[in-house]
Amino acid sequence: MTDLSLPGFLALSAALFGIGVFGILTRRNFILLLISIEIAMNAVILNFVYFAAFPAGTSGLSGQSIAVVLVGFAATEVAVGLAIVLALNRLKGTINVARATELKE
Amino acid sequence: MSLEELAFLALALVAIGTATAALLVRELVHTILWIAIFFVDLSAIYFLLSAPFLGVLQLGVYAGAVTILLLFGIMTTRKRIFSREAVTGIGPVPVALAVVTFIFLASALGELPQSTTAVQSYDPTALSQNLFGPNGPWLLLLGLIMLAGVAGAIYLVREGRE
Amino acid sequence: MSVSSFAGPFVPELVLLAGTLLIFLLDVLKVRRIELTGGIAVAATLAALGVVVADLGFAPLAFLATVPASQIDVAPAAGAAPLFAFTSFGLVFQAIFLLATFFVALASVSRPSDERGAPIFYGLLLLATIGMLLVAIASDLIFLLLAIEVVSIASYLLVAYTRKDVRGLEAAMKFFVIGALSTVLSFFGASLLFGAYGTTNLYLIRAAGTAVGYPVLVLLGYGFLIAGLAFKVTLVPFHAWAVDVYDGAPDDVSAFLAGGTKKIGVFAFFLVFLGPVLAVGAVGSSGYGLFGGSVALGASFQITLGALAVVTMTVGNVLALLQKEMKRMLAYSSISQAGYMLIGIAIGTAPALGGATLQVFAHVLMKTGAFLVVGAAAAIGVGPLIDDWRGLGLKRPLLGVSFALMLLSLAGVPLTIGFVSKFVLFSAAVDAQGWFIWLAVAGLLNSALSVFYYARVLKVMFFDAAPAPAGAPAGSVVGGAGPPALPLGGIGYGRAASLAIIAALIVAFGIYPQAVLGAIQSAAYHFVTVGA
Repeated sequence: MTDLSLPGFLALSAALFGIGVFGILTRRNFILLLISIEIAMNAVILNFVYFAAFPAGTSGLSGQSIAVVLVGFAATEVAVGLAIVLALNRLKGTINVARATELKE
Repeated sequence: MSLEELAFLALALVAIGTATAALLVRELVHTILWIAIFFVDLSAIYFLLSAPFLGVLQLGVYAGAVTILLLFGIMTTRKRIFSREAVTGIGPVPVALAVVTFIFLASALGELPQSTTAVQSYDPTALSQNLFGPNGPWLLLLGLIMLAGVAGAIYLVREGRE
Repeated sequence: MSVSSFAGPFVPELVLLAGTLLIFLLDVLKVRRIELTGGIAVAATLAALGVVVADLGFAPLAFLATVPASQIDVAPAAGAAPLFAFTSFGLVFQAIFLLATFFVALASVSRPSDERGAPIFYGLLLLATIGMLLVAIASDLIFLLLAIEVVSIASYLLVAYTRKDVRGLEAAMKFFVIGALSTVLSFFGASLLFGAYGTTNLYLIRAAGTAVGYPVLVLLGYGFLIAGLAFKVTLVPFHAWAVDVYDGAPDDVSAFLAGGTKKIGVFAFFLVFLGPVLAVGAVGSSGYGLFGGSVALGASFQITLGALAVVTMTVGNVLALLQKEMKRMLAYSSISQAGYMLIGIAIGTAPALGGATLQVFAHVLMKTGAFLVVGAAAAIGVGPLIDDWRGLGLKRPLLGVSFALMLLSLAGVPLTIGFVSKFVLFSAAVDAQGWFIWLAVAGLLNSALSVFYYARVLKVMFFDAAPAPAGAPAGSVVGGAGPPALPLGGIGYGRAASLAIIAALIVAFGIYPQAVLGAIQSAAYHFVTVGA
């Protein structure tokens, strides 16, 4: 049996969530934005896991279920974000190419 | 201080350190390195919390798939993925609210039980019965999210001949 | 064998899912004509709407009903934690959501018929609608937030679906980042509530009320939820993204975002915060916390939500007054309308929630319609500035008359649905007594303020001389190599039909509001008394 106390976990997840939100608000690079989102999402998942381990009711099992679902959700979110930025990147790339050919003529 | 508490303290410090480093280093590839360590570290915390299934899931999905996805994103876009403005239209008011909120969060630490208690662990079988039984609709919703995400993402990045 | 015996009560969702999969299948088979995919989407939406209306007890369609009346508005057994429940309030919202999708789907049929993105547009539209329907039956916080995410993910991609349009993709990127922030905030709030209550079920949370071990966690959890959901509803400190996204998104998608998906946030506000607003007594009695130990939960939430409502409507209206572009003005007016809807939950009585629901219904008609008119105007070559609309009202009677009706309704002129909804809402605020009267006063002052910018548009459209034709004659699509002009001078039958239906409904319900008022008021009554 592992013996641990709750406040340390809340402090950790609050710190991670703060880092994540700070990153979302300040970073310019889209990959860093995605990473910030993932850090904050991991804080949320950590919240559910430790509240499941220190349940307020009789059982916190559904907390672990939520954590499983959220892991899948966060991965989907990354994929969607990357798809949008790849499409944008390709479009701006082609625009640059078009300009380059114009200059050549 | 028991061994478990010491382990948690070390893992927590590594988590905060790597998360900060990931957002601060200049080279994007180094960011991926730090974030990979961060994901593995959190997986260790899940094992410490007697949640081995989530620990393995964290390793597989985050440390594995998401890291590779991000690396792939960096490799295909190089340096052209800077958005025009940093803060996406968020004024100072939400930032101020955020500061107030974190003061609140600190005050919430005081009301939690300070003594150490035994971590409640769950059988993976019980978890799967919960996930596919009464809480099954969550998984169905996740399926809908993934359907929308996959369909749209494939359309967006596919080279279309029009 | 009745329909319900094998499909259960989820027939509307399944019909829409079948439509989505059929559209994707046809896409794979390279059948992409917008008339066909659009037709499938319109038919699926209409079928789902019929079922939902039948479930609400509309007698002529009773044979379609799939949810037994004995399952609607039933409080769960003590201690039970259902993830979803059928309430007449949720069904009313389902009907409203389906109406928004129907208008957008019908109008979008009038886009160029060889458009490559048609299948993905309609597929994502239907998927988002499924998410909206599921939002309306949620009775569990995680179920609610995941259903909202179905809508969010689909709408990020809807904004980006043109794929070759930098403005759309940049709007999608911004929408994605803000949406992800809002998601993370909401889920963090939900996790704190889970930690405090040991459950995410809204019935159980409401039943527990103030009897909770960690009161500061409860306040924080609701605080994060307010912030997260406020992004979705575009309440004022969290509104700045909306204008850029509505402006950059394709016109029909803007109509869906402003008229449709935003309303799921309103419903989520009603669902999540009804518990704390109605909670009696104080949380926290021990000697810690920033409030000196205890907070009257209900009153503090009423004040917070009321203040958010007043700030939102005022800021939205003032900024709308300053806009020169039509789409941005409509976006700000949409923000201010969210403030009116929030009055309902700030008061928390059945008449107020009913009034707010009627306001949501009216807003779906008015705002979806207004953005669809903008789309039609863009299709016939009218520029984005309000001044570009000079004389359009007389030259294009259909656009002019329907847009005039929508604006008059937005301004709250009698004989339109907008007047009825505001009247019901503000009179509920007055009836609630106390400081709620000031909410009604603020709403009335704001309505008066909003008349200015609506009247300005009407003046430009009907009383200013039309500009001299610069290039291509009005009525033909700009650009010689473009697709052939649509019927009805470039507007197209689908869009014209959609606009005509909206205009007719605005007037019909304005004259005879009893047709929906009774159902909405009784649904709101059950919502407040029976359970989430």
